[in-house]
Amino acid sequence: MTEEVSKADKVVEIPMTVEIPVGPQHPAVHEPILIKVYAEGEYVVKAEAYTGYNHRGVEKLAEKKTFYQDIFLCGRVCGICNTVHADCYVRALEHILNKEPPPRAKYLRTLAMELERLHSHMLILAVTAEIVGFDTLFMHMMRDRELIMKAKEIVTGNRVLADYIMVGGVRRDLNSEKIDKLKKILTKVEPRIRYYWRVFEEDVTLNKRLVEVGRLTPAQVTSHGLLGPVARASGVATDSRYHDAYDAYAEVPFRIVTRKEGDCMARSLVRFEEMQVSLEICRYILNHLPEGEAVPDERRLPRRFPEGEAFTTVEAPRGELTYYVMSKGGVNPYRVKIRTPSYNNIINTVPFYVGHMIADVPAILASYDPCISCMERVVVIDLRKGIRKKVSMRDLAKGEA
Amino acid sequence: MAKVPLLKDVLKLIFSKPATIQYPREETPVEPDARGRQYADLSKCIGCSLCMIECPPKAIRMEKIPEGYEVPKRNARKIYPVVDYFKCIYCYRCVTVCPTKAYVVTNEYRLASDAPVNSRELSLSTLKKASQEPSQGEGEG
Repeated sequence: MTEEVSKADKVVEIPMTVEIPVGPQHPAVHEPILIKVYAEGEYVVKAEAYTGYNHRGVEKLAEKKTFYQDIFLCGRVCGICNTVHADCYVRALEHILNKEPPPRAKYLRTLAMELERLHSHMLILAVTAEIVGFDTLFMHMMRDRELIMKAKEIVTGNRVLADYIMVGGVRRDLNSEKIDKLKKILTKVEPRIRYYWRVFEEDVTLNKRLVEVGRLTPAQVTSHGLLGPVARASGVATDSRYHDAYDAYAEVPFRIVTRKEGDCMARSLVRFEEMQVSLEICRYILNHLPEGEAVPDERRLPRRFPEGEAFTTVEAPRGELTYYVMSKGGVNPYRVKIRTPSYNNIINTVPFYVGHMIADVPAILASYDPCISCMERVVVIDLRKGIRKKVSMRDLAKGEA
Repeated sequence: MAKVPLLKDVLKLIFSKPATIQYPREETPVEPDARGRQYADLSKCIGCSLCMIECPPKAIRMEKIPEGYEVPKRNARKIYPVVDYFKCIYCYRCVTVCPTKAYVVTNEYRLASDAPVNSRELSLSTLKKASQEPSQGEGEG
């Protein structure tokens, strides 16, 4: 045995970089994005994002359809935040038409959007719990989220796709019976949210998996243009509800929620606090709903639009959403440009995976076959001379090592 | 770090009714004014095709009213909208743009089927069947 060892003059040490595709099928959330993670051992050394799996040509389609058909098309850009998309687009149309919705309609729009923020935040927090392996919490939160979906159904007529916002107002009104129902739902939901908030703050599993993971500094947030709760969790107080004060946000009292930590836990807790703020906004709106008309007669709305352009922003649950609508007259928009907050947040945070463990990459890897695509380089140690040198796998195959 | 009394919640849920609704056997509770299946009431419809023009997913087609129905005189072209419920997105744009408010709205959401589902029969059921002679007279007029 010892003789054999002494005969060997080289030891080949292979540090493997494993390329792991996270997605495009179900990477953490139900969004088809591929995050290629290169890992050395357990740690991520490089990450790349590939998008375009769900390209549907919505912007081009919007040019082909009429201004009014596009309201429903824009609502279908995203299922979770359909009301904010429709609101942003409709406000752009109202700017072009120089039309102001009545105050009651503004309040009702705000109510629908805040209910949407509530169920969106609840969904993403439940998914966070699922990813860290806390499936019971996921089930509980999704059960209580159903109450908010019911509230949305009462307000808009459908639990997911609201189709609620129309040029010059909203498409259905609230009566006192519905307001009572909504108030009951809100009182039912509030203690549940507070309970889950406490679970997130105090549970050992969640703390171990979320605290000090994926930390972003305020400088990183501003230099990479991150938006929404991601920015607010790092102490950057950006909120277009406050800066833009669209719809009824100028009149409804609310506060911007920020935290300083900037890690995954801070982002979760910011969402919890925002849900609390949303509940307060909803309650304020239900108590202070202005009287008057809210539903426009859609048969009397102008079919042809004047020339003009508008750029509107909305604070979607994930951050600032912007729409640019250009009209050259006629019945179709000339251009509709959409910039969603998720795209900004997902693509621009890719460099920040580096240095974390694979399990910390917010994704479920267990259901995927990790694809070991390449071993980039090897180290050859000359035992006689004591020299380490790096050669490529190709050179090793040629016997040049 | 204090432990959250999740166990209490879990125990409570073990002995309570499941939150899941066993859908085909049990009905999902929907609001009475939830947006479900809609169809045109042909006694009000004037065949103006506005719903077809405005429909975002182009789910509505105008068809000729078949022979043997008493068609109101307002509907001069004798056409009526047929909604393809598989294409329909239930946005109710047709309901709100209709100049005569001819659409009947329901909260019926159970529309899954093997065969194509449309509003043809529902719409035609709103028209009276004509006896042989008046229908011929109307056709000539």
